[in-house]
Amino acid sequence: MPYLEINNKLLGPFGKFEWLLWGLSVILTLIGITLIYSATASLGGQEKTFVFKQLAWFCLSLVMLTALVLFDYKFFEQWAYWIFFAVIIALVVVWAIGRVTAGSRRWIDLGLMRFQPSEFAKLAVVLAVSKCLSEKFGSQSIEIVDLGKPAVIILLPALLVLVQPDLGTAIVTVLIGGSVVLFAGPGRRVLAWIFGGTILLSIVLYFFGGKILLDYQKKRIATFLNPDYDPLGSGYHIIQSQIAIGSGGLSGQGFMQGAQNQLMFLPVKHTDFIFTILAEEFGFIGCLLVLSLFAAYLFRGLSIAQKSRDAFGALVSFGCISIIFWHVTINVGMVMGLLPVVGVPLNFMSYGGSSLLCSFIITALVANVKMRRFGYEV
Amino acid sequence: MPEYIRPYDSAHDFRAQVMIASLIIVITFGALLSKLWKLQLIDSEYFTEMSYSNRTRLIRLPPPRGSITDRNGQILAQNQPNFSLSVIPGELSEYDKVLEVVPSILGITPEKLRTLLLNAASSPKYKHFQIKKNLNMEEVSLLKTRLGDTRGVVIETRPLREYPFGESLCHVIGTMGEISQDDLLKSQKFVYRPGDYVGKTGMEKEYEGYLKGEEGWTQIEIDAKGRQLGSTSKIPPQRGADIALTIDIHLQRYIEEIFIERAGSVVVLDPETGKILALVSKPGFDLNLFSPSISERNWKNLNSDSLHPLENRSIRGLYAPGSTFKMVTALAGLTEGLIRPDTVFECNGELDVSNQTYRCWKQQGHGKVSLHKALVESCDVYFYELGLRLGADRLARYASLFGFGTATGVELSNELPGLVPNSVWKKRNYGAPIKDGDSVTIAIGQGYLLSTPVQMALMTAALASNGTVMKPYLVDRIVSAEGSTIFQNQPVQKWNASINPKYLELIQKSMRDVVEDKSGTGRKSLIPGLHVHAKTGTSQVIREKDRGAEIDQIPYYERTHAMFVAYVNDRPQKIALAVVVEHGGGGGAVAAPIAKKILCKYYGIPENPR
Repeated sequence: MPYLEINNKLLGPFGKFEWLLWGLSVILTLIGITLIYSATASLGGQEKTFVFKQLAWFCLSLVMLTALVLFDYKFFEQWAYWIFFAVIIALVVVWAIGRVTAGSRRWIDLGLMRFQPSEFAKLAVVLAVSKCLSEKFGSQSIEIVDLGKPAVIILLPALLVLVQPDLGTAIVTVLIGGSVVLFAGPGRRVLAWIFGGTILLSIVLYFFGGKILLDYQKKRIATFLNPDYDPLGSGYHIIQSQIAIGSGGLSGQGFMQGAQNQLMFLPVKHTDFIFTILAEEFGFIGCLLVLSLFAAYLFRGLSIAQKSRDAFGALVSFGCISIIFWHVTINVGMVMGLLPVVGVPLNFMSYGGSSLLCSFIITALVANVKMRRFGYEV
Repeated sequence: MPEYIRPYDSAHDFRAQVMIASLIIVITFGALLSKLWKLQLIDSEYFTEMSYSNRTRLIRLPPPRGSITDRNGQILAQNQPNFSLSVIPGELSEYDKVLEVVPSILGITPEKLRTLLLNAASSPKYKHFQIKKNLNMEEVSLLKTRLGDTRGVVIETRPLREYPFGESLCHVIGTMGEISQDDLLKSQKFVYRPGDYVGKTGMEKEYEGYLKGEEGWTQIEIDAKGRQLGSTSKIPPQRGADIALTIDIHLQRYIEEIFIERAGSVVVLDPETGKILALVSKPGFDLNLFSPSISERNWKNLNSDSLHPLENRSIRGLYAPGSTFKMVTALAGLTEGLIRPDTVFECNGELDVSNQTYRCWKQQGHGKVSLHKALVESCDVYFYELGLRLGADRLARYASLFGFGTATGVELSNELPGLVPNSVWKKRNYGAPIKDGDSVTIAIGQGYLLSTPVQMALMTAALASNGTVMKPYLVDRIVSAEGSTIFQNQPVQKWNASINPKYLELIQKSMRDVVEDKSGTGRKSLIPGLHVHAKTGTSQVIREKDRGAEIDQIPYYERTHAMFVAYVNDRPQKIALAVVVEHGGGGGAVAAPIAKKILCKYYGIPENPR
């Protein structure tokens, strides 16, 4: 494996290292940890444990990032299908465990840590779809028949996530895979097919979905969408979240001062509702800052994708930032009540090891593409 | 240049896509920010108002825990409501009223209450701060009438675990306690909250997942004065499942009553199925001391007690099985062809092995001894000779065949495996090969050999059921709150020792004569009309030096352990048991009478006929 050889030039002055994305990732993570501290303080003296755990994951993520930028991203191209295959197996294992324990399971318990494969599935889909599509480049334009393989790569993990059951994550997986396909630049005819099909399907679901489905089936879909956050089924949490965000005002109520936060209105506020804590305690200014950091991250990622040395690099870096884009959009939209409640973490900021590690793998992959964009220098 | 480098692929630039993607990002983030703008700047006043007046709260309803019962449905552990008084510092304003009312009702000094309230004021604003636990009904009703509508004062109801039989079966039932930080983080999402009670030991811990039940939620509205306006919606909690044990609590209690010695253990099981009927470990402790939480003093007492009442000796007590091991040695000798049923050894009271003298318990010796006589009278020299011929490794194989050296797999996870020494083990731990002297002592169940009482009972059960080793178990069935059986335990045969039936018959006959023969060592368990098969054992704790001294002249911790194993297998209800009396003296003298009482009780035979 020639790609595994560590190149001394890269290690040297760190001149080509992607410091901007690295810095943005670290700042976002530190803001996240601050908010986790505030969010878990009301759970009864556990805030230190939560913060230490997250810090430990942060350190591990930094080590992971360093390791991943050391060798050429070609390595991932070569191993993309195997990584994908491994994630599929992990998803099947989670599904099997869930069946045995007769409950919804989304993780594999490794004793020390809990490994949530559906987070990594999104990354694996990006890698596999990128590899699959980049092979088409240089010959002819992408035709409708070329989309068969990507479709399987996207839908297989999505289905496995769907039976967990977690409709939300399944949809996000499809959105991410779809973004990569569109970015690859299919021809006009193919684009027309994709858009036409999607619009037709949406219309059918929108108008007839309600008639085809029975009431209890609709309810089941609703619980698919939000398995944990709405125990009473009355939109309680979204209302509470909106109150918290609204009462934050321009400059917020101050660190650890949010009345809604301290009142424990949400069972998952330090994970998926971390943005609500930000909004309540640091107000519009805080939110603007965080969203600007995310926007900077996305634009930087886009420019790296555009300038990458080959098609695979472009597709992977775009896929990676599309994960961040969809997560931020859906998560922030959800806590404000714009979108339905879906179990999507806010990258870098939500509490949780798998999510943080994935976020830093994303940074590492994009940085890797940037560092090797002049192929001849290597 | 390595061949995998490709030049920049200018034929496929992504400028158009990047432009579109940038546009999408700008539009999306613009939409998010405009919604934020609306929420935080335009409607801010409205939401701030809501956040102050809004006291809708989602209250978690902890699930009632399932019960633990014995085989006949007799309740061994169940939940009772328990009340405590708490304040919410962020809502409490009428401090004077609280200071005036509470001390007289709860019998605490106003100064102490003042300190508590000060502590509360500096703790998180909206967290419940506990003032006093374990209120009685009278205190609750007084507090409710006088402080019922005071904002920030709450009377919390929490189920309290109650153990009707107190000390009985305490090690098996197990204790509960507040969930630890570690478990809390490990627990799946937020099923547990700080302050929740979980099983810490015994069945309460092992079957926590079944007993716990599922939490419920209720949404309550509170007005500006803190009064509850009623709940708007509710998901009721689901009660946990009930665990029915194989234990017969009446037999268990009877054994606990008649076991008057300081420490020891009794294990009674059904040899056919492996069901454990009684599992006694003495001394014990009152489970109710732990409910809801044990006081520091009680905990200290239990923890520092030199007899270790918290240890479950039945599965964690390690004893040299002593002469009760001789059946295994005998079967090993017969099966390996080293002796025949009629082989005779000469016992003159001692045997010299590699320059060391090993004594028989009978100083003047047994004379000519056959296998039958060696078992009935428990001659040591016969088994020294046999051990010498077998060697430690072969002995170890047969010991494992009867379940020694591995945990029996009973549903208590802290069970100890004991120890069956062999040459590999000796080499690893002492760096020396196993010697003849070791084999000789192992043959009579001494030396490095260590077993738990449940292993001794299991060996006895295997002898009773012709070599079949069953897996002992404690849980008979699990019944859901709706009454349906969700788990029915079935007997599991671990393996069969596959011993020649002729040899087994000889051993069984000898065990019967241990009790019925005039010279048998187990005469004290003779019950007319019942065929008791048994073996005594007296296991040494220190090197033999005070032989012959009267028992009360030896210090307690140097006295021998009294062992006794017995079974009855010709009745429809079969039984196998092991009795261990720590530092009790001789097995035949001390442990056999206990076994006799248990057997009489079990078969309903009067103890003293006439």
